[in-house]
Amino acid sequence: MAAEDSHKKMKKRKHTKKNIEQNSVKENSQLPESEVDFYKRNKDKKNKKKYSEEKGDTKTVGMSNIKDESDAPGGGKKKSKKLRAEKKKNDKIARAEVNDVGTPCNDEGQDEFSDKKETSNEAGECKMQKSMKKKRKNAKTLDVSEVDKLDNEGEDAAEQKNDEEKVGATHTEHEDLMASFRGLSEAETSRSANARNSKKARKIKKKDRLLVNQSSQENSVEKKGEAEEYEVYEMSSGDEDSSKGMKKWITEYHQSRPGLKVLQERIDDFIAAHEAQEEQARREREAKAAEGGWTVVVHHKGRKKTSDAESGTVVGSVAQAAVLDKMAKRKNKDAGPDFYRFQRREAHRNEIMMLQSKFEQDKKRIQQMRAERKFRPY
Amino acid sequence: MGSEATYTDSTNLKLRELLKEAQHDYSPESTKIINDFVCSIKKAIDQIPEDLQVTADLGPGFVRDIGADKVEFKFKKPKSIEIGGSYSFQCVAKPDVHVDLFLRLPKECFYEKDYLNYRYHAKRFLYLCIIKKYLKLSSLIQEVRWSTFHNEARKPFLVVYPAARLSGNAAFFVKIIPTSTSLFCASKLILERNNVRSLNQEGVLQATPKYNSSILEDMFLEDNFEFVKRTFMGWKELGEALILLKVWARQRSSIYAHDCLSGFLISIIMAYLASKSGKNRINKPMNVIQILRITLDFIANSKIWDHGLYFQPDGESNISNKDRRKQFQSFPVIICDSFGFNLAFRMSLSGFQELRDEASLALSCIDKCKDGGFDEMFMTKIDFPAKYDYCIRLNLKGSREVYSCGFCLDEECWRKYEQKVLSIIDQALRGRTKLVRVIWRNATFECNIEDGLSTLDGEALLIGISINSMEEAFKQAVMGPSPEEKDKALEFRKFWGDKATLRWFRDGKIAEVAVWEHEESERHIIIKEIIEHVLSHHLSLPKENIISIVDQLDFSLRHGNKDPISFSVNLLKAFDNLSKHLRLLDDIPLRISSVQPLDSAFRLTSVFPPPPHPLAYEDSVGVKPQKLTSTCIQPLEVMIQLEGSGNWPMDDLAMEKTKSAFLMKIGESLQEKWGISCTATEDDVDVFLSGYAFRLKILHERGLSLVQKQGNAHVKRVLSSDKKLFVRGQHSSMINGLRGRYPIYGPVVRLAKRWVSAHLFSNSLTEEAIELLVAYLFLKPLPFRPPSSRITGFLRFLRLLSEYDWSFSALIVDINGDLTPEDDKEINHNFMSNQREYKDNMQNISPAMFVATVYDKASEAWTSVSPTAAELRRLATYAASSAKFLTSVIMQNLNDSYRWECLFRTPLNNYNAVILLHRDKLPFPHRLLFPSEINQGRKILHGNPSKIFQPFLLPGDLRGSLEEMKNKLMVNFDPLRYFIHDIEREFPEKFKVWYDSLGGDAIGLTFGNKSSKKRGRNNNCEDKDVVDSLRAVGELGKGFVRNIYLLKAPKNKLRHGYLRSVSDRD
Repeated sequence: MAAEDSHKKMKKRKHTKKNIEQNSVKENSQLPESEVDFYKRNKDKKNKKKYSEEKGDTKTVGMSNIKDESDAPGGGKKKSKKLRAEKKKNDKIARAEVNDVGTPCNDEGQDEFSDKKETSNEAGECKMQKSMKKKRKNAKTLDVSEVDKLDNEGEDAAEQKNDEEKVGATHTEHEDLMASFRGLSEAETSRSANARNSKKARKIKKKDRLLVNQSSQENSVEKKGEAEEYEVYEMSSGDEDSSKGMKKWITEYHQSRPGLKVLQERIDDFIAAHEAQEEQARREREAKAAEGGWTVVVHHKGRKKTSDAESGTVVGSVAQAAVLDKMAKRKNKDAGPDFYRFQRREAHRNEIMMLQSKFEQDKKRIQQMRAERKFRPY
Repeated sequence: MGSEATYTDSTNLKLRELLKEAQHDYSPESTKIINDFVCSIKKAIDQIPEDLQVTADLGPGFVRDIGADKVEFKFKKPKSIEIGGSYSFQCVAKPDVHVDLFLRLPKECFYEKDYLNYRYHAKRFLYLCIIKKYLKLSSLIQEVRWSTFHNEARKPFLVVYPAARLSGNAAFFVKIIPTSTSLFCASKLILERNNVRSLNQEGVLQATPKYNSSILEDMFLEDNFEFVKRTFMGWKELGEALILLKVWARQRSSIYAHDCLSGFLISIIMAYLASKSGKNRINKPMNVIQILRITLDFIANSKIWDHGLYFQPDGESNISNKDRRKQFQSFPVIICDSFGFNLAFRMSLSGFQELRDEASLALSCIDKCKDGGFDEMFMTKIDFPAKYDYCIRLNLKGSREVYSCGFCLDEECWRKYEQKVLSIIDQALRGRTKLVRVIWRNATFECNIEDGLSTLDGEALLIGISINSMEEAFKQAVMGPSPEEKDKALEFRKFWGDKATLRWFRDGKIAEVAVWEHEESERHIIIKEIIEHVLSHHLSLPKENIISIVDQLDFSLRHGNKDPISFSVNLLKAFDNLSKHLRLLDDIPLRISSVQPLDSAFRLTSVFPPPPHPLAYEDSVGVKPQKLTSTCIQPLEVMIQLEGSGNWPMDDLAMEKTKSAFLMKIGESLQEKWGISCTATEDDVDVFLSGYAFRLKILHERGLSLVQKQGNAHVKRVLSSDKKLFVRGQHSSMINGLRGRYPIYGPVVRLAKRWVSAHLFSNSLTEEAIELLVAYLFLKPLPFRPPSSRITGFLRFLRLLSEYDWSFSALIVDINGDLTPEDDKEINHNFMSNQREYKDNMQNISPAMFVATVYDKASEAWTSVSPTAAELRRLATYAASSAKFLTSVIMQNLNDSYRWECLFRTPLNNYNAVILLHRDKLPFPHRLLFPSEINQGRKILHGNPSKIFQPFLLPGDLRGSLEEMKNKLMVNFDPLRYFIHDIEREFPEKFKVWYDSLGGDAIGLTFGNKSSKKRGRNNNCEDKDVVDSLRAVGELGKGFVRNIYLLKAPKNKLRHGYLRSVSDRD
């Protein structure tokens, strides 16, 4: 019951929360660039000094991040664990914020609940922020490891491993988001059911996380091995590059809809140009005819024109009907297909030929079917 | 004349081939093997010592359960052991090659009165026990098992499997069937007598006709067999017809059952028709087809069944009418031998009705189908799931209720239970059904009869229900009597239990009713609920033991917990609204003369008809957007025609431009007049009205005639936009008509479409082609009747897809029955020339599926580009595997929801590479059936999701003005489609793309022919090349692609791969 209450409260709080988030999104507007930087640097791993620079750049992003970084140097060796820990820290921070805004939650279950809610709410907008945090984290830990004098290769692998785990993390976030979509759509029918659902979901998520934590060690070992074999190509979201992918499609979509006015003008232009072209062609023809006093007979492709070249009278629709009518009449006058004896004979022979070929085909088919054991009724 | 000759000839050819497969090979070698084996059995039996004391201890369970008293006897050798059965007159049909051995029980072992109280049955069993014991000692015998005579557990017999095999490694077995010729006096066993003393009602003994017949059967078995043998010996045609009829019957599990037909009964009926008593309807000069036809016709239509079939040896009627009436009191069907014993005493009324129905269907197959209905009659398996609209399984294992009154009285308890279930369902569904069939094949091969009869309930009881008309079947209320008729009302209440209520109707009537209320789209569940209710009410069965196959696949069509088809009402209203507005427009140069729907949502065959979108209303209507408002909206295409005019340009391009100009004008004036907003690109105009986006298209008839002229000049397969529109319009209206005739058509199509796209075949089979394939099931249903339930229809669709012989026959879908024989000829001509073209040019990836309709006799409209032969093969393999799986899930106890899901979960290991997409970047993420993950192969690429596209409006957007929100709305924006388009443009030869247009998150890639050939030579370099191009593919879908995996699945293992992946989940 208490959980349900807090759930409702959370919903109210969402709006206030959102404002904060929007602010942070604005702050993050420079993020895509830095992300690209990061991406490039991933490829060019030897330039490690820049990491610290970037760290400096991004320090301004959010308040909570500073806290993170102050905590960060603590565990330099077990990166995977640290990532998890960090995530939890984020949650804690989020929770702390919530507690500031609303009434404090005593029960641990409630805490869990609220922070889950938070993540799913944030997921859409805060994802960026989070992934950035993690990246900075990577940079940080790398620095630390440099201090620890790990050799370069091992570090590369480790970094990659981190990347992969980050991938995993974002995955779970996606799934959270999707789950919340589903949950919400169901909630349209019953709210209480939703509360129960999300409770369940929470439990499952909790389990998942535990599992991930347990397996992360094993995975990291495995992945190290894999990573040495071949590399996974990392691709950016492409939001800054409109030549390919999602950005391109959206841009094209919007470009193709400039509004009725513009489109109408384009069509008018086209039709005008088209008519001018036709007019030009007609003039040329006339000029040619006039030159030598001859009418140049040109093979006329396509259908008869709608208007007569000389008189300009419109004959189009009438001519169409007339021609069809004529054709129909002419057809009647033709001798029937069985008028002459040879026609009849031919038709008869054709028919027999057809039947013969069909029979042959049947036989062939039966042979084929026999080969495929198609006649076995069991 | 000519045509008829070839027609029968090709049928004859096929029948010959079939007979070759089905006939047993009576070569000297195999005859010798069989004879030797029979001799060894005889020898083994001969070695049993005489005067062995036999007591109930050999099989105490059986003797106890059957309720026999004195059973001791001294063993004597059997009187005779003779080869009988169809083997002896060369009519045994494969694969069931067996030899019947009639073992005549010696009179010394029985007392005169042993026909009483199951003593005969018990002694018969104990006698066989002794034989079994001694046969097991023989080294030539691999195994001896029990089986039951026509599923009658009280009459078991022995099945002996030899160690040896016939030539060609064919298996055979010997049945040892005891007979009791002249053991008892037949007059003691007439129908009215009671011979089971425990069967009485308040001290009055009741007649035991079934029990008596069961003994009589053994007494006359040999004589009747002799008669059949005499008829069939040396009459080749008759024997062949018998084999064909056996094949026909065995394909139909609903009639080849204990309470209907058996091989022996078929031969008896044929012998009757060939005898003097049957007026020699079959006579010597007839050929096989004629005999077949006459027999089926006799079964289906003869009036003699009403009076009973009587063999009269001397040709005179020696059976009085009184006797006949008595017989009919006990048995619904009578085939009386010359001794006055009813050979058809096991046949039930429902079984017989089913038999007549199947026979008349077979006759119409012969008349109406090509090749004399060969495929339909002999090659198509007609099992419960495909035949009946609703299948229900009752798991009765361990249910004591079944034998609470003892196992065997006059009848066996299982047969009694069958009848009880049948009568309950008959009463509950009165008026709703055409036929209900209840079969419980409880006594199977595996049973161990010595331990008693209580273990004979392992198999599930099957109920098959055929429906008459949807309207009747899906009625929500069962009307009862008025409460004033007290007796009837009480009875009604007793039958329906707590479901019965009193209702006051509008016309002032008050009556008892039982009501099941459901929405329009959920009405099919009513039958399931009725059945579950009455069965659990009357048989006190727990609900989990009643498995009714009705709605198990509905999950694939739902959004959340609602079937979106219920939005169709709104949609049709909105369409009416649109066409009204369009016709009223008067400020455009040419008025609109007709408005016609094109999209499948209008004909209720769309898997996901769109719900009304809150941002797609007119300006005047304010609808507040809710949470989870979709960013994308599916446009629905609508075709309009304008008044005729001579001023249209002649040029193709100019004409299209003019059309666009018209459309924009229409959009503009809609906006001005009624505030109906619209959005346009250079080619399309989308109008927002009543929550829907309608995409307008203009059909210009003159454009049509232009194309027809071009069409003659060898530009065959490219249809102009006008022709396409025209064809789509025709298709749409025809399918809509069909849907009106068959209400279940829509749901079946939706399941079929969902299946096709769930297995990533969206690119291979167009929506319209699927609609036509399903239409074919309804229009040419033989050997079935048109399906009346979605699962049955879906199963038949899968079987059609997997079994149809596309390379040799065109599929002609004649929706309104207006194809003339000339049309047929034309279609066949087109098909043949198409095939020839295909053969001439093997590299040409020509269409493999020829689907002809009235509006498209050359199959150009829907299947001219795809599927190719390779795609079709893949489709057929998947369909076969899915059909098999669906059948087993219906018939067997592996029913949990996960198993049903397997039908739509596609294996991802059959592709060379797989692209996984970001699920939350799909335009309609809630349509995703199963999130795909891959844990094999090599991960090539990982991409981050784009942030600029969200499938749902963000909460922030919702607070903006309506205008802003409307700008956010994207019509027909589908990243998947764009992505596929980009891949196909960039790598036209390299990759073949498989995808799910209905919202899957996986795309399969297979290598085109060229690259795979190269791959053989230098693997390494090629590998790198592949990886590079896969990365390039990933780049094309930046922000959308999640992962790319390289799997390198070998092509030739496709079939097994799929099967394995399905069975893996078993």
